[in-house]
Amino acid sequence: MTFYSPVVTNAKEIAGHEKLHLFEYVEDEKQYQLKRYLEHGGYAAWKTVLGKMKPEEVIEEVKKSGLRGRGGAGFPTGMKWSFVPKDSPKVRYLLCNADESEPGTCKDRVLMERDPHVVIEGMAIGAYAIGCHLMFCYIRGEFHHSIERIEKAMEEAYSKGHLGKNIYGSGYDLEMIVHTGAGAYMCGEETGLINSIEGEKGMARIRPPFPAIEGLWECPTIVNNVESLAAVPHIINRGADWYRSMGTEKSAGTKLFSLSGHINRPGNYEVELGFSLQKLIYDANYGNGISDGKKLKAVIPGGVSTPFLTPDKVDVPLDYESLTEAGSMLGSGGVIVLHEDTCIVWTILKLIKFFRHESCGKCTPCREGTGWLEQIIQKIEDGRGGPDDLEKLDSICGNILGRTICPLGDAAVMPIQSTLKHWRDEWQYHIEHKKCLVNQNFGF
Amino acid sequence: MAEAVKEKILAVATITCTIDGQQITVPKGTSVFYAARQIGIVIPAFCNHDKLKPVGACRMCYVEIEKMPKLQVSCATTATDGMVVSTNSQQVREGRKAVIEFTLINHPLDCPTCDKGGECDLQDLTFSHGYDDSRFGFNKMRFIEEEKRDTFDDLKIGPEIVLNRNRCILCYKCVRANKEAFGEYDIGAFERGDLTEINATPGGEVSNPFSGNLVEICPVGALTNSDWRYKIRVWLTKTVPSICNFSGSGTNITFYKEDHKNFVYRVTARCNDAIDDGWLSDITRYGYQIVNSESRLKTPLIKKGGKQVKASWDQALAVIKKHMGEIKDQSGGVCIGGLISPSLDNASLYSFSKLFRTIFKSNNIDFRGDYRYLPSVTDSPFTIAASQPFSIADIEKSDVIITFGTDLIREHHNEYLKIRRAVNFFEATAYSVNPYAVKTADIAKSEMVYSPGTDELVINGICLAAIEKKLVDSSAAAKLKPKISKLSLSELTKQTGLGKEQFKELAEAISSAKKITFIVGEIVARSLERDKICAALSNLNKLFGVQDKGQLAVLSRYANSKGAQKLGLSATPYEIVKAELKKIWGEYPDCQPRNTDSMINLMKKEEIKGFITVGTNPMRLYPDRGFASEGLEHVDFLVACDMFETETTELADVVLPLCSWAEYDGDYINLEGKVQTGKQAIKPKYEAKAAFEIMELIASQSGVKLFENEQSRNEEIEQLLSLNSVLPWPDDFLEIDYDKKSSRDDYPVPLFICDDPHHSGHLTEKSPSLLNFSDSAYVELSKGMAAKIGVADGEPVRVESPVGKIVVPAKISRVLNSDVAIIPRNFSSTQTTSLLMRKKRVDSVKLTRVEE
Repeated sequence: MTFYSPVVTNAKEIAGHEKLHLFEYVEDEKQYQLKRYLEHGGYAAWKTVLGKMKPEEVIEEVKKSGLRGRGGAGFPTGMKWSFVPKDSPKVRYLLCNADESEPGTCKDRVLMERDPHVVIEGMAIGAYAIGCHLMFCYIRGEFHHSIERIEKAMEEAYSKGHLGKNIYGSGYDLEMIVHTGAGAYMCGEETGLINSIEGEKGMARIRPPFPAIEGLWECPTIVNNVESLAAVPHIINRGADWYRSMGTEKSAGTKLFSLSGHINRPGNYEVELGFSLQKLIYDANYGNGISDGKKLKAVIPGGVSTPFLTPDKVDVPLDYESLTEAGSMLGSGGVIVLHEDTCIVWTILKLIKFFRHESCGKCTPCREGTGWLEQIIQKIEDGRGGPDDLEKLDSICGNILGRTICPLGDAAVMPIQSTLKHWRDEWQYHIEHKKCLVNQNFGF
Repeated sequence: MAEAVKEKILAVATITCTIDGQQITVPKGTSVFYAARQIGIVIPAFCNHDKLKPVGACRMCYVEIEKMPKLQVSCATTATDGMVVSTNSQQVREGRKAVIEFTLINHPLDCPTCDKGGECDLQDLTFSHGYDDSRFGFNKMRFIEEEKRDTFDDLKIGPEIVLNRNRCILCYKCVRANKEAFGEYDIGAFERGDLTEINATPGGEVSNPFSGNLVEICPVGALTNSDWRYKIRVWLTKTVPSICNFSGSGTNITFYKEDHKNFVYRVTARCNDAIDDGWLSDITRYGYQIVNSESRLKTPLIKKGGKQVKASWDQALAVIKKHMGEIKDQSGGVCIGGLISPSLDNASLYSFSKLFRTIFKSNNIDFRGDYRYLPSVTDSPFTIAASQPFSIADIEKSDVIITFGTDLIREHHNEYLKIRRAVNFFEATAYSVNPYAVKTADIAKSEMVYSPGTDELVINGICLAAIEKKLVDSSAAAKLKPKISKLSLSELTKQTGLGKEQFKELAEAISSAKKITFIVGEIVARSLERDKICAALSNLNKLFGVQDKGQLAVLSRYANSKGAQKLGLSATPYEIVKAELKKIWGEYPDCQPRNTDSMINLMKKEEIKGFITVGTNPMRLYPDRGFASEGLEHVDFLVACDMFETETTELADVVLPLCSWAEYDGDYINLEGKVQTGKQAIKPKYEAKAAFEIMELIASQSGVKLFENEQSRNEEIEQLLSLNSVLPWPDDFLEIDYDKKSSRDDYPVPLFICDDPHHSGHLTEKSPSLLNFSDSAYVELSKGMAAKIGVADGEPVRVESPVGKIVVPAKISRVLNSDVAIIPRNFSSTQTTSLLMRKKRVDSVKLTRVEE
């Protein structure tokens, strides 16, 4: 039996590793079944939580662990949970954001397909911590295999009493619904996701009110990424101190990175936060160097919505703070490597086409701005660029950055701004010579 | 959000912030946008609307706030203590400029051919905030649908609405208002990014009863209506404040008129938070078109040789003088009767009353031409219930709202919207208790549909459930119980079709309410047993102390029903009013009071020989057409004043053209008792005259003046209006006798005759726009009922009652879920009321499919 998605992982290297944990069993063909999951200690944390811990204690433990949101923003998970008003008479919801659609990122998918129970267990613990009795797993619609495996795992969990009424005799009820997306990047943004579950168009909502106060159907709602939730059972099992012992002081724990682009060994790798980007790209156990022996030109470290890094920054440690310092972001961990034959203008054109297509159309700067940007960049790519186009791009990007409801606007312009800054001569060359500076030929 | 707004309303706490150097203290939860407005700083915005939740879509309302690096949208930023806001800094101005630039890149800038020109937010804000040049060097996006393509890419998306997607700046106000304020979903946003378009839902059209508002709130010319399109430029019109003549709550409106043509071009809202929140029903918005109608009565008509012929006012008045004089001399004034419309202004109503009571010395007048079998007593439980105070604004302050016996979307649009607002914005809980499923129920916590004709039993059930569950004061319970316990709770459930749990739920809701609104509507008011139902309501009010913690009233239906009641326009006015009239006039006829029913009865007996109708059409509206027509046909001399030819004017010996409310200044008292003035917009069309003028002219034929002058008339009216016209409830609990429900299997389907959601009374069918929404009668049926008789939507159905028969197309309802039939009364082409019998509690009919 083969796995649904034949993605390279570093599970073998992790086996027996006392710290790395998320990918420990992802190469085990039967891990997706409840039986094997239980053999590997599955649902022990859920039993501990329901049997011995109060919700506040769970929140405290996760806070102490230093776990931060793995979806991109890096907000401390325990802190987010504690924002749910204690005295609110309303019901609460936990939503697992499994709408993984950031180009370059495909880590959640591996977890859902190969270790779905850990996602459900993490969701359950999170639900208990915030007092929720109905949780949703919102899975990207194109992820047929993930949907199938999560649904199957959910059914198994229900049938063996890990979900449902009076779980383990604790008196705690928890129901779960798998909700699938319909092909919108926007629905991976938490308020867009909430709108989508409500049956509305996938559009961002203004904050405040934050979802923790008023989210799904105006009730307190917590939205967590798959990877964040998958780490929670491990934190409960092995303790916050163990989790804190990994990574850096401010970026504790491990993180999954999806490595793609011009790389010899693309795949998903679990490393401790603070791991060197250089090592991730060049080490034989990870990326094993740039494809065709070419030189590195740029790295997008956290999915296409993060600014490009220049080769001189490639020794940056992969943690939230260091990447911010280097002028980019950790994001969702989708590392895209570009080698020397890549045309920056062409790359940016691809990106802006994506963002224009995915802009939800709610707020003006992003809706109109992305389309305008695309037209200017297309013009430059086609060799019709004018002398004032770069200035115009600078100005339009500045008018979008920080002016939109959700981060999509920022995501669309930050990569452009970073290339305008670091590769301006290449843009200029394109306009002046009506062709690429590099001899680009990828065959795609 | 809702919490924040509630706090704002209750004003529990305040904060102080600084905006542009000025300190201001506002209730906690106020947004920066509204805090600024309080000190006169108007922050520009496209997507913000005072009555909708903020979305922050347009990004025009940026402000700079100290300690926040990015610009913030003021509509969605709550002002906090110590916040320092700048609404006009360099950064803010540049931010807004950028937004205007973005907004304009795909906007066609077709201002010269756009109807919004002159009142367009985008035009105004571009002038005040935008660039004078464009940096956008590409073709603008253009929506064109080849097969539907019309001039300027317009797309008709509803009976009245025309959409131009190219002009749309996607503020989403239309979609949001539809959803948040009206609970309608017939317009939506489709696609995404810069391809996003507003459109009618696939396969549907935008035709909800509030759809006109979407046009009004559109900040650009994307949504226009055929009412106003291409007719006139807004700057060529003048505005006049007025009051809607079709609603009981007196919706505030603005007329747009042009003097040279003496023409009203449109009606828009004149936002009054206490009444309408700036939302107009389509009836209010398009109903004005009757004013301009070509088919209005242009001159007086007199009957000559069986035919009505044109006449001058003098000729018509002479005929009236001759005939009325004869009747009065030969048979006495008691042989003259009159019926007036409760939509007319105070002056007209009062002049009518004075004409009858002081000149004809007759007590035969009424204003309720569409209520069957009204009792001739002054303080019946119904009259008491209808006189109770009511505040529309209090609806949104209530935590529990119960609507009983009312189909609000057909009767009271403003209250319907206020309830939606209370539920959606202020977390009120609504209950809908009706003999058939109504639209209001979609926001209700529970909808309870009881068997038609068991209204008072439902009330008794609530009382009994409360007594059983010990939710009410025990001594009151002990007093009431023997009076209503002839039927046990379980028997009541059997009769009414409601469950014990439902009675309990309502009892608990009423007893636990902190502030309650209990609305009773037309289904009760039009019922033959209105007094019995209101007696039960009197008990309920007493038992729960409803009015001690809120309001309970039968809402009056027409623009000036309350005024008519206060001015004594019924044959049996309140005692206090009668006494005051006697004082003012120095006389009051001591003859028997006759209301509508007994007048029609007396016509048949030829005891009423002369009859005057003003602005009303009993032939269409009286709920027993056979009875009404037999009466009116017997009248020796009938004078009918109306704006249009009606079934009643056709019978008349003299027809007088009546002014519309837009043609003179008039005061109207809304259902809350609030006096509002409708200003004259245009000069009277053709030879029409206002009713008060006509009354004065008729009086002058007897050589008498009704009033010395306008001032003395107004003083008399003022005197009457100053009286407290709230009647006290009975001191004791009332005994409710119980009559066994008689079911007639040969006519098994209960019938309700009411207004179409796009029409009101008998005049609105002269509005072309309203006809576009609904132009002929139909029988509205539930899906199940239609299946039972085997008809599909639009197929003809024979509707038979013991007295009449009509054939109308079926309309499958999205709301109804029980076996009832609803037929609108607004169309002259169908004699709807011929199915009704005036002494019947529940009209019932037999429905059959018409074979081709």
